Amino acid sequence: MKPGAAAQPPQPFFLDGGADARFCLYYPPASFPDAPACRGAIVYLHPFAEEMNKSRRMASLQAAALAADGYAVLRIDLHGCGDSAGDFGDATWDSWLADVDRASRWLRDRLGATLSEAPAIWGLRLGALLALDHARRAAEAPAFLLLWQPVTSGAVFLTQFLRLAVASQMLTADGGAGGGTAALRTQLAEGYALEIAGYLLNPALAAAIDAHDAGAMPPPCPVHWLEVVPEAGRPLPSAAARIVGRWQDAGILVDARAVPGPQFWATQEIATCPALLDQTRHVLQPLHHAAG
Amino acid sequence: MQPDELALSFPCAGDWLTGILSPAGDAPQRGVLIAVGGPQYRAGSHRQFALLARSLATRGIPALRFDYRGMGDSTGEQRDFTDVDADLRAAIDAFCARVPSLREVVIWGLCDAASAALFYAGQDERVKGLVLLNPWARTEAGLAGTTLRHYYRARLLQPDLWRKLVSGRFDWRAAAGGFFRLAGKALRRPASAPAESPGLHERMLRGMRAFGGNVLLIDSGNDLTAREFLDMAGASPAWRRLLAAPQVQRRTLAEADHTFSRRAWRDQVADWTADWVRAW
Repeated sequence: MKPGAAAQPPQPFFLDGGADARFCLYYPPASFPDAPACRGAIVYLHPFAEEMNKSRRMASLQAAALAADGYAVLRIDLHGCGDSAGDFGDATWDSWLADVDRASRWLRDRLGATLSEAPAIWGLRLGALLALDHARRAAEAPAFLLLWQPVTSGAVFLTQFLRLAVASQMLTADGGAGGGTAALRTQLAEGYALEIAGYLLNPALAAAIDAHDAGAMPPPCPVHWLEVVPEAGRPLPSAAARIVGRWQDAGILVDARAVPGPQFWATQEIATCPALLDQTRHVLQPLHHAAG
Repeated sequence: MQPDELALSFPCAGDWLTGILSPAGDAPQRGVLIAVGGPQYRAGSHRQFALLARSLATRGIPALRFDYRGMGDSTGEQRDFTDVDADLRAAIDAFCARVPSLREVVIWGLCDAASAALFYAGQDERVKGLVLLNPWARTEAGLAGTTLRHYYRARLLQPDLWRKLVSGRFDWRAAAGGFFRLAGKALRRPASAPAESPGLHERMLRGMRAFGGNVLLIDSGNDLTAREFLDMAGASPAWRRLLAAPQVQRRTLAEADHTFSRRAWRDQVADWTADWVRAW
């Protein structure tokens, strides 16, 4: 591959204003003399709550790398997250789905005729589950999905998040007489919002997360599925392997790989996973050649 | 209606920093630069910095929050709080360029951003105020001493510990090992301590001495980092004198943890900050 034009810095902007303002970063594609103006467009969906903050650096590095490879990348902070308008406690699954549509539309408008397919969606953790839900609803299927460590069961993920509140109760003076995650689920079911690790979780969002399952959302497009494992040679986690197998049996093109590295969305300090960055660039190369 | 926030990209030593300006008021003269501490980016843990900036803006105080080089959405190599002078200067330049009426900047910093603000403030005459929250003053010996003083004393007062002792479920070996390891570190003379954070306390003290402006010091009652800073300052006649000066105000949020992880605590910090910024 010939080197592309010098990478431009990311362009931060707000998509719309007021209550609709969504913070975005656009990474313009580097151009190559022997390739079409743009290899494709990709929308990035961040993970949930503090995982988004911790993974910000990795998202930046990967977006810049993909732009250098000729992709146009748009990162969007979903409703009530990051620098976007709204409180976290106001966000709903539907408002997030609407944001994915807006981001995808923005890239289409920006790139116009140079784009031959609908933008791909790349999601990390809960962002990957949201990407799957978007893909099955979209009028035009995304070019592909890039799933990083997807949350496969919304219910299991919600329980893990609720455990943060249980742990916090146990550290306070009243000694955690709260009754565990089951009691918290009851409060949510009764319509009460919960403040967990500094985030106000609204009951409608919790119910939507609870109800979404990756296995039940076979995508209408090819999938690159990447999992981070503690060391090289480890297989895909069994929950992921089961879903990948089922989708492949259904005729969906799924390329699943495991790469070694730290769980950068959850580490105490900011961590990066170079193997994931490299592998992502690698798996996205053949698509271009096949299409071009 | 509150004006929309602006997304900024500004240069710093060959890299590009990403920031958000929350504009406010009619030709404001004083603004708040929110510096980011710890493993965070400009939105802050549970969005504390984003919410703080908006809260200040609704009260007529413009605010800018941004990512250092190599953090969050900014380009460049990762770095820590000891090496961000150029980043702070670039951010204040961008702040003043976007808000031309600005004459005075307050740097607001939590944890190691408070320490970074102390290092920088005396070098930039535009900086007239500092809001320091749970400043980071960790050295190995200091941490051990603070843990002994605060954690073990608190443990001894917990009914749960005494229940475990009576029922025989207390892990004596682990507890004694932890205690003696810490005691060894705490009792070691500072002169023989390893140079694990070369001159952190001295550099903070130099920064505080070099800064002639106003300071608001906020500490969380439930935070070891804050206790370490206060223990360090309390043991130093120079710090005691500096903190007793009339331009220094103190606030303690007794219930709060290190990152002010509840809405009530965040709101209290935002109120104290806004009131203080408008008070001088």
